[in-house]
Amino acid sequence: MMIQFLLALPMVIIVIGALTLMLLSQSKRFTLDRLNLIAVFFLVISLVVQLITMGDHKSTFLFTDLLGHSLILDDFASIFDLMFTVGAMLTLLINNDYFKSRSYFNGEYFALILFSVFGMMMLSHAHELVTAFIALEIASLSIYALVGYHKNNKVSSEAMMKYLVLGSMTGAFFILGTTLIYGAVGSTSLTEIATYVIINEHQDMSLLIIGSSFIMITIMFKIGAVPFHSWVVDVYHGAPYPLTMFMASTFKIAIFAIALRLYLVNFGPINSFWSELLQIMTILTLIGGSWLAINQKLVKRMLAGSSIVHSGYLLIAMSSLGLGSEMAAPAIMFYLIAYFLSSVGAFGILSFIASQSKRQMTYDDFKGFAQKRPYMALMMSIFMLSLAGFPSTIGFLGKFYIFTSAIESGQILLAGLGILIAFISVYYYFKLIAVMYFYTSDAPQKIFPVNISTIVIAIMALLVIWGGIGTSLIPFIPSPDGFIDIAKRTISSLI
Amino acid sequence: MMDNILSIIIFLPLFMAIFLGLIRAEITLLKIGAMFSSIATLFLVAWTAFYFDPEGGMQFVENAPWIKNSGMSYFVGVDYLSLVILLLISLLMPPLYIYMYHENRKGYWYNMMLLQTGVTGAVLSLDLVLFYLFWETMLLPIFVMIGKYGNGLHQYNSMKIILMTILGSMSMLFSIMYIGYVYFNTVGTWSFALIDLSTLTFNAQTSIWLTAGFLLAFAIKIPLVGFHTWMAPAYGSSPTPAVVIMSAIMAKLGIYGIWRFGFGLFETTLVYYAPTIITLALIGLLYYAIRAITEDNLRKMFAYSSGSHLSLIALGLFLTNIYAWSGSLYLIAAHAFASAGIFIMIGLMYKRFKTVQISALGGIASKAPKFTFFFAFFALSIAGLPGTGGFVAELLIIIGAFKANFWIGVLTATTMLSAMLYIFWMLQRTLFGISNNDAHYEDLSIREIIMLLPLVILLLATGIMPSLFTPIFEPQLNASLQEIIRVIGDLK
Repeated sequence: MMIQFLLALPMVIIVIGALTLMLLSQSKRFTLDRLNLIAVFFLVISLVVQLITMGDHKSTFLFTDLLGHSLILDDFASIFDLMFTVGAMLTLLINNDYFKSRSYFNGEYFALILFSVFGMMMLSHAHELVTAFIALEIASLSIYALVGYHKNNKVSSEAMMKYLVLGSMTGAFFILGTTLIYGAVGSTSLTEIATYVIINEHQDMSLLIIGSSFIMITIMFKIGAVPFHSWVVDVYHGAPYPLTMFMASTFKIAIFAIALRLYLVNFGPINSFWSELLQIMTILTLIGGSWLAINQKLVKRMLAGSSIVHSGYLLIAMSSLGLGSEMAAPAIMFYLIAYFLSSVGAFGILSFIASQSKRQMTYDDFKGFAQKRPYMALMMSIFMLSLAGFPSTIGFLGKFYIFTSAIESGQILLAGLGILIAFISVYYYFKLIAVMYFYTSDAPQKIFPVNISTIVIAIMALLVIWGGIGTSLIPFIPSPDGFIDIAKRTISSLI
Repeated sequence: MMDNILSIIIFLPLFMAIFLGLIRAEITLLKIGAMFSSIATLFLVAWTAFYFDPEGGMQFVENAPWIKNSGMSYFVGVDYLSLVILLLISLLMPPLYIYMYHENRKGYWYNMMLLQTGVTGAVLSLDLVLFYLFWETMLLPIFVMIGKYGNGLHQYNSMKIILMTILGSMSMLFSIMYIGYVYFNTVGTWSFALIDLSTLTFNAQTSIWLTAGFLLAFAIKIPLVGFHTWMAPAYGSSPTPAVVIMSAIMAKLGIYGIWRFGFGLFETTLVYYAPTIITLALIGLLYYAIRAITEDNLRKMFAYSSGSHLSLIALGLFLTNIYAWSGSLYLIAAHAFASAGIFIMIGLMYKRFKTVQISALGGIASKAPKFTFFFAFFALSIAGLPGTGGFVAELLIIIGAFKANFWIGVLTATTMLSAMLYIFWMLQRTLFGISNNDAHYEDLSIREIIMLLPLVILLLATGIMPSLFTPIFEPQLNASLQEIIRVIGDLK
């Protein structure tokens, strides 16, 4: 029991942190700075506990006498936990300036972030459909509230309503799917479902397939795949910068945590059923996302559109997975890490600039940026190159693995389309680099502000480069090799 | 140290740039650092060339694992082909830095150092992913230099060049990934090293598609006719150092790519493509020459002339006989020196007269004799003046063309004629005639003459004493050609 508690401790710490922050935020003595620090403090403790307890527990169920088989602890979940914690931490640290620059932030913001981290962690541990649903809703509800945090802003409120209504509706599909699966299997535990699938592999399982397809709808909605994408650009635009960053990087990863678990383990034998559907959806997502991203004037909206495209790349690997590619699952993990690093960095710089001014940040606002802030412009270029998949950045390797996995599973045309879309993406990412560097500005050069936000962004930029060129010659520092090893180990703990 | 000499040659400029950037060097220090890195590289390359064994195949090889999980390795080495281009790069950098002597915008210098690392790395890589990395990254400095320091519609043109070349690179990336996967499928481990991948055989259909992926990238880079729309605008609006590198080095890398990776991986399929490419090259020869005759902007005119010569090199490459091949390799070097010279001269001209339009120039000869001499010398060596390297090379290619087919020979020979036509007509209009320009006609300074002299000497040396240079590449060139002819012969 004691060991079990220790293993659940990271999650517990996050909940305690969230509750503490809720109480503290009522006191006038705690400024935003301090509350932010407290939130980070809880995240760090949780991170430390995670690192200590990592590794030596393959597939342990938590509190079996109390919860049955509803929460599992394996390498897969702990790697995702690590990413959520780090993601939340980075979000809080990078946006420190932004919180102070906007008057509408107050203490509950940090509490809500921690609650959503808790939801995501539970989601990655969930080994039972109802638990997964509850975890998903805990995370989503916090995010809904956070999206509409700027109450007096019409765009923000509109984004919140849009996301809330659509999100709740698709959430209902999850429950519907769960019911149907329960009807077929007689249980909602993933273990039971997996056994059922294996036993009945050659028999009619239409109820289960319909049920799991409904669950897929929810997942596709949350990652913004076309045709469930209509909310993405508006919500990303309406949400405050810190939250856009949090959604684009961390929350999206959380969805893939549950998607991979369901898809790989439980529906493993029947996942070839979806491959054609997935292929169609992938093609739509890639093309639709590019179309949305090309036409934007605001950089934030461009990144939102491009995040759909990145979901599309991930879907390529998902459908290769269904067709029996061995590299696809590690490729997804690697790509998630790569996308996480580069998008956090890119949004981080946007939010840093936003904290200095009230601009909307169109492409035109970036004219002469390289002259005003040479280091910031350099880092932004690095993140754009990585998102575009330019070699010598981690984004290139991410795409490389995704496309080779598609080739491996025989989806040559899909890989070709992916390459074409990557080519199109060069246009809208390089446009930003071009705007930053090719125009002169009259404003004097500003010195590089050394504070917590900028240091963290700089570290991200270094990681992005290191992830692309780092060699296996230098031990102890995780290079692309290390990332791939982690990804492989994670996946192997699942199967 | 000498085990890693190629790595030092590749990365010295990059590390110099990073170091200078970190200490936020003043402009004077930056200039000294850049100059130092280029001269040090030149010495190292000279050392490599001195100890290079003409009979020895791939030399100074370094092979270290890079990303083990997918078999990418840091694999560099030098043979006769890369040595020639390596020498070109390192010989051209110091004169360019002397040219940039008065340039006080820091970004210029950083970009040039990064560019040197990019092109050198691309020439020396023997691993396909490593090659792809350098091939793409060498675009970035060019992109920034055209966009930031260029003239005319530079922002638009720089976006155009990057999009077109990346389209090519992406298709090459696809082929690389596919080949890598096929290797994994047959052997069981990942590798992207050229020697490993060249052992693979593909069925005809696959091979044709894969070759197309590579050829698209190289055809855009060269550029063959039909893939050339980026060329004239980009050359026209880029600053002089960038245009020198583009025409003297980067265009040659397209040829190098076909030579190394095309013939290395798909020699049999290239036979299938040979008629198409020979046709394109022949069309290119004439089309570019005609465009050069009608062009009024000097930069664009020599852009077309450069395209015409590169078509000639590509033609020689696909004729696969020893005369044409030696000629092609020789022309790579000779044209690099000549085009570097002429683009530097055009840059100097722009500094003096603030225009490069032929119609706005005239009467230079009487006021600035030294300038006239150098300008005319480089222009004529582009046209293949006897006594310069270009003449030897073009003659070899024409002989090779006549050996292959009489009519190809006739068409090829017209390049020399048409080049004479546009060069002489241009010289007449720019250097002679009435001076209709009020600008002061300043003659070349000592610094400028020092910068141009090495190029003149090299052009004359390659022209008068070809026997001095051919031994470096002749034996291996012959050997690899025999190998390819044998493979093609088996096919027939």
